[in-house]
Amino acid sequence: MTRRSSLIALEIVAIALALLILIPFFMILVNSFKGIRESALFGLSLPTTWEFGNYKDVFKQDNIIRGFKNSFLISGLTVVCVNLFAAMSAFIIQRRGGKFLNGVYLAFIMGLIVPVSIIPTIKLMNDLHIKGTYFSIIMYYSAVLLPFAVFLLVGFMKSIPRELDEAALLEGCGYFRLFFRIILPLISTVLVTVSIVVIVSVWNDFFGPFYLVTDSTKWTIVLQVFNFVTLYSTNWGVVFAFMIVVITPVLVIYLFLQRYIIDGLTAGSMKG
Amino acid sequence: MKRLKYPLYFSFPAIAVFLLFFITPTIIGVYYSFTDWNINADAIKFIGLDNYVELFKEPRLKQAFINTIIFAAAVTVLQNVTGIALALILNEKLKSRNLLRMIFFMPYVIAPLVIGYIFRAIYHPGHGIVNQFLDLIGLDFMMQDWLNDPKYALFTIIITDIWRVAGFSMVVYLAGLQFIPKDLIESSSIDGANYWSRFRHIVFPLLAPAFTVNVLLAMIGSMKVFEIVMVLTEGGPGYTTEVFYTLIRTTFSSGEMGYATAVNMLLFAFVSLVGVPVLMMMKKREVEM
Repeated sequence: MTRRSSLIALEIVAIALALLILIPFFMILVNSFKGIRESALFGLSLPTTWEFGNYKDVFKQDNIIRGFKNSFLISGLTVVCVNLFAAMSAFIIQRRGGKFLNGVYLAFIMGLIVPVSIIPTIKLMNDLHIKGTYFSIIMYYSAVLLPFAVFLLVGFMKSIPRELDEAALLEGCGYFRLFFRIILPLISTVLVTVSIVVIVSVWNDFFGPFYLVTDSTKWTIVLQVFNFVTLYSTNWGVVFAFMIVVITPVLVIYLFLQRYIIDGLTAGSMKG
Repeated sequence: MKRLKYPLYFSFPAIAVFLLFFITPTIIGVYYSFTDWNINADAIKFIGLDNYVELFKEPRLKQAFINTIIFAAAVTVLQNVTGIALALILNEKLKSRNLLRMIFFMPYVIAPLVIGYIFRAIYHPGHGIVNQFLDLIGLDFMMQDWLNDPKYALFTIIITDIWRVAGFSMVVYLAGLQFIPKDLIESSSIDGANYWSRFRHIVFPLLAPAFTVNVLLAMIGSMKVFEIVMVLTEGGPGYTTEVFYTLIRTTFSSGEMGYATAVNMLLFAFVSLVGVPVLMMMKKREVEM
């Protein structure tokens, strides 16, 4: 085979594989426009009658808008906490070193792999009288995601020359100004990566809020999906419409940020 | 130049959050796993190793343990094989390669819970598109009740998870491929090395860092699998797809907190036992590089 024709063959294989990825998405999309009976067949054909009312039914549910708001609030605040705390500690861990900080770094690395103890966490939140609050879920996510952020940032901090610190401090700059004015802007690309990973993890997570958030007014959007399917699985058209509503924002964000996501994974994994 | 005195307190916020909300629950968890803590009882009593003894007698735990190992091993292997294959294909100069890279990564940004529901429809024994497709191409004898047949349920969950995560591995491998100098590949093909031997002797060894990262992440991630199993089978039929987290969920909902915590501690021990040595190896190699 010539190089050209083998490339064409390879392209066809790749496109066929990509269809395997796309078909499930197509399936929920067409079925989200079907009526009760037709959508229960989960087929790939276009709807015989287009049922746009499914989407109207979805948006009629107050708790869906509230779910989006909660997801937005929780992931937004977690991003701020994780980035700020991880960057500050990574800066000190990498620059200062010493027995204590090396131990701290090691503890964070362990946290990267071991699973959270969820039931004691519920108990702890309860004893601290913060169970079910936004604060408790944000702290839970921060604790879970800090290890990853610290790990990534310590690795990256090595590439920022110490001479920069020395020069700045010699000029009479304090440590706070050094950190916020000089170091933070230099690590902004890694912070974008951290932010994306945090947002995707928090937005899509079911495990945390399932155990920690009992008050349904604070449920995230994924928890609303769980609840919705449990209650309304008799009408798959509406369920699928809901899924499209949940998936679309994530996919849109992904399409805009995919270059950063992929670059970030690249930088992170190769440095890590 | 005098040694700079970086302020230690910069590290305190992160340490405080991590210590309070990650390490503390783990430590109190060790204690609670030795108690009869039950939602219906008033007092929590220390009962020593009873929970663990009970657990090891329980066939469900054994099943969850075996299933977690099978799931983690299968996902780790398959995810890496498909990941490398996709990365090699999409590293070639294909016209559609940017679009295809984007498509393969797409499932990774969707909530696993939602993916579980989508595939529950896809595997439906009567109308699901898997069986419909097999029927259409004349392979109707291969039609199965994918999620309710104990023979296939775990396998079906594994395939679903591969669908979800293959693109992630692909991206990490693609990144690794960028670090391989082009002239190395060119000179080897001038020397007459064929594709396979070039892959074995040049490309794969140079992909080692990407490989380690991928294996570690796949292993750790798959040992903690929860949502997909919960939605697709709830650990059933019987206990044939039970994993650690579905077992924790059922013992938790029945109010046996001490017992559920003991299951959590076993998962903790298991993941640490597998993950920590691999991670230490990685860190050591990082220094050498």
